[in-house]
Amino acid sequence: MANHSTSHPTHVQHHFVDSDQQFDSAKLGMWVFLVNEILFFGGLFCAYIVYRAWHPELFTQAATELNAFWGAVNTVVLIGSSLTVAMAIRSVQKNQIKGLKINLLITIALAVVFMVVKGFEYAHKFELGILPGELYTYEGIEHAQAAIFFSIYYMMTGIHALHVIIGIGLMWWIYVRANRGEFSSEYYTPVEITGLYWHLVDLIWIFLFPLLYLIE
Amino acid sequence: MATAEVSNTRTLKVKRFKPSEDPKKTYLTEEKGLWSWLTTVDHKKIGLMYLGSVTLFFLLGGVLALLLRTELLTPAKTFIEADTYNQFFTLHGAIMVFFVLVPSIPAALGNFILPMQLGAKDVAFPRLNLASFYIYVIGAIFTFFALVNNGLDTGWTFYTPYSIESNSSVIWVTLGAFILGFSSILTGTNFITTIHKMRAPGITWGKLPLNIWALYATSIIQVLATPVLAITLLLLTMERVFGIGIFDPAMGGDPVLFQHFFWFYSHPAVYIMIVPGFGIISEVITTFSKKHIFGYWAIALSSLAIAFIGFLVWGHHMFTSGQSAVATTVFSFLTFLVGIPTGIKILNWVATLYKGSIEMKTPMIYVFIFLFLFSIGGFTGIMLGSLAADIHLHDTYYVVAHFHYVMMGGTLIALLAGLHFWWPKMTGKMYNEFQAKIGAALIFIGFNMTFLPQFIMGSQGMPRRYYNYIDQFTIFHQTSTIGSYILGVGFLLIAYYLLVSLFRGEKAPANPWGSRGLEWQATSPPDLHNFDHTPVIINGPYDYHKPMEEFQLGLADSGHNGHDPSHDATGAKQEVVSN
Amino acid sequence: MSGQNHEHHHHVSTAGQLWAIATGLIILTIVTVVVAKFVPIPAPFDVVAAISIALVKAFLVAAFFMNLYWDTKFNAMLLIMGVAFFLLMVLITLLDTMFRNDIVPSF
Ligand code: HEM
Ligand SMILES: [Cu+2]
Repeated sequence: MANHSTSHPTHVQHHFVDSDQQFDSAKLGMWVFLVNEILFFGGLFCAYIVYRAWHPELFTQAATELNAFWGAVNTVVLIGSSLTVAMAIRSVQKNQIKGLKINLLITIALAVVFMVVKGFEYAHKFELGILPGELYTYEGIEHAQAAIFFSIYYMMTGIHALHVIIGIGLMWWIYVRANRGEFSSEYYTPVEITGLYWHLVDLIWIFLFPLLYLIE
Repeated sequence: MATAEVSNTRTLKVKRFKPSEDPKKTYLTEEKGLWSWLTTVDHKKIGLMYLGSVTLFFLLGGVLALLLRTELLTPAKTFIEADTYNQFFTLHGAIMVFFVLVPSIPAALGNFILPMQLGAKDVAFPRLNLASFYIYVIGAIFTFFALVNNGLDTGWTFYTPYSIESNSSVIWVTLGAFILGFSSILTGTNFITTIHKMRAPGITWGKLPLNIWALYATSIIQVLATPVLAITLLLLTMERVFGIGIFDPAMGGDPVLFQHFFWFYSHPAVYIMIVPGFGIISEVITTFSKKHIFGYWAIALSSLAIAFIGFLVWGHHMFTSGQSAVATTVFSFLTFLVGIPTGIKILNWVATLYKGSIEMKTPMIYVFIFLFLFSIGGFTGIMLGSLAADIHLHDTYYVVAHFHYVMMGGTLIALLAGLHFWWPKMTGKMYNEFQAKIGAALIFIGFNMTFLPQFIMGSQGMPRRYYNYIDQFTIFHQTSTIGSYILGVGFLLIAYYLLVSLFRGEKAPANPWGSRGLEWQATSPPDLHNFDHTPVIINGPYDYHKPMEEFQLGLADSGHNGHDPSHDATGAKQEVVSN
Repeated sequence: MSGQNHEHHHHVSTAGQLWAIATGLIILTIVTVVVAKFVPIPAPFDVVAAISIALVKAFLVAAFFMNLYWDTKFNAMLLIMGVAFFLLMVLITLLDTMFRNDIVPSF
């Protein structure tokens, strides 16, 4: 708590007393940011809930256009990547930089797999004419608001995918810094907070999957 | 844990650090030149850059306001077209809300003062702080672009479906406000973390200045509400780009849902604007009453209560929108509740004055103006919150008068109080007290002349957002317009003497008001790292019954900042038991 | 406070723990799919079942991958607060959308 210290390791910024204060601050700041993310997605979930409560039959019909199998595969892929991120943090905590780097690379690979699967899903829908809003031309679902369901679907999964892409970028940045030897068991704050971000991306998907794909 | 919540008792060696009246090095002299400003991570410079940008926007918004009022000088068309009028009031509203009031107190004054009141060297994430400023600038560029390119005519509320169809540059402004939201979120995140983790030894939650409590409550609202605005504006943008239809009745969507989303942010946002103002009022009123604040915890916790209840009342903007009767009734009830914590604050401030030795310096004059104007604004809000009355008053000038009494009479007056209060600390210069009092008088007279008549004509049925009106309202509109010119003169006068003070002002002492606040124990202007010792706090920030020496303590073994302490360490070494 | 003794509050999970959580999550994913596709549950309760399982999964991720179980309570409180305000937004909005009366019937 004191505002001074005698030994200032290089990774501690000048306005912090010690690396504990810096670590705790970064983590608290990240959690506050995650609260933000929850409410950001919250708006979309709210729109989803309102429309589902209005038109339950639309949601049951429209969900049949989504492939539960590939949704489940992607769920497992994201869970796997959450595991490898957790393992990456564990590695750096134990000063195993090689383990850190390997786990980061696996995480990136899994995130890419997720995006590829998503890409195929999107491509398939585009072919059928299932596009958001006014561009919607599909005739397989007889419901006045069918386009709105898919607008919600595209907004939710699209923004989630955007988060995955940002996550890949962050993970790559951590990997580069790890390569430069910046992290050790003494200092791994960026690894920890990137990990928190990635778990949140997983958390959101844990809800998106049953809400979008598993409506019978 | 690296905060002051330590439960064990520790003994710190402290000594007295009396702030030098003639500091050799300050944050203004140590890093000089334009580039050092643009790339600074110093919270003080970032605060001042925000202050400058906010002032620019205020000028722009103000000119638009005067143009609007001038158009209303005569019942028929005076000098601009109806369409132009629509664009002017939209941009006036959007600029004043998103670019002036939301960032004004937290990002400008708050940035400067918050770390100093905590005895910290900086906010927790200084680079994020700078980033938030540039994000603000980028958001501003988007809005400027809209201004020169087609304008915007939807009203600052962007209601669908008109905002989907309008030919004006809706996307530019929604994206601008979307980007701006991130700057607000970053500031909030930064403040919450700083308040939790960066307090100097001895600053417990019970010794936190009320300004910090207010900024804390504000930051919580910023973090919880702003992301909803972001997603709303993003959905609106998508609505215009892809026609996603969620808010578009033509496609089976629901425009009232847009209003829910918008007001879920924008009602809490009115508290983002006013709550930091409450913080300033608490600081100024104790300093110029030389008396402990009355009801410290009541004021501190009522800020949090306002932050919470403020999330439950948004539907009072939608009483006539066609939302269900159940929701309308519940929202009306909750709206009344929000008045309670606000009333608690006003009562405690007035009680603080009781038997104080009141000194009518300019900041204090603004506090009295605030108490008067904000109370009117608050009470008329309660009236608008009652269903039957609102059906009649909604979308009339009564609402316009209400929100100007709270936003301008409340937030902006509080901002002026804070600006005059901390000006000596920020710049090291004193302004001309006499001219400042004239300025305050002009503002007070001009303000009431502008907005009191609006209550009357509003209750008689004058609708808002029209560029002409029937003859019956002429006298009210003309009084209002003349009042707005007086207001304009008042602001010009303030700008004039503040600018003059920068060049020819008297040198400010470290603590011109005799305040007990920690920020006043630094030099004026402060050192690059705020204090060149580590402050130690043993008394509360409003303990005016205790001698000044007890407020000037720091760790005895400080002076490690990489530069020599330029202050004389006077007084004998003392031992202080913290917690 | 000395900054040297890190170990005392940075929790390090064992590899076994992390694998166990991941396995649990995958099993729960399979359970959700099976319940949704093959167990006929009447209308509102199928959603309740799916969300309940998702909540358990979310709890596992938050508590053990995000380390909230070992972290300061304040961070957990932040997460709960975020969810609580999201629920407020939804519930109050539903108060309108679920109870509208048609001003023009059949519109
Ligand atoms: C006691 C506290 C308050 C209450 C009960 C209250 C109540 C209301 C109500 C019921 C309305 C809607 C009127 C209508 O459109 O028919 C309203 C409008 C408004 N209020 Fe307040 N209010 C309060 C404080 C504030 C504060 C502190 C601010 C800002 C600093 C504020 C800013 C606004 C704005 C900007 C509008 C108009 C929005 C628009 O339609 O453009 N209010 N208020
Ligand atoms: Cu409101």
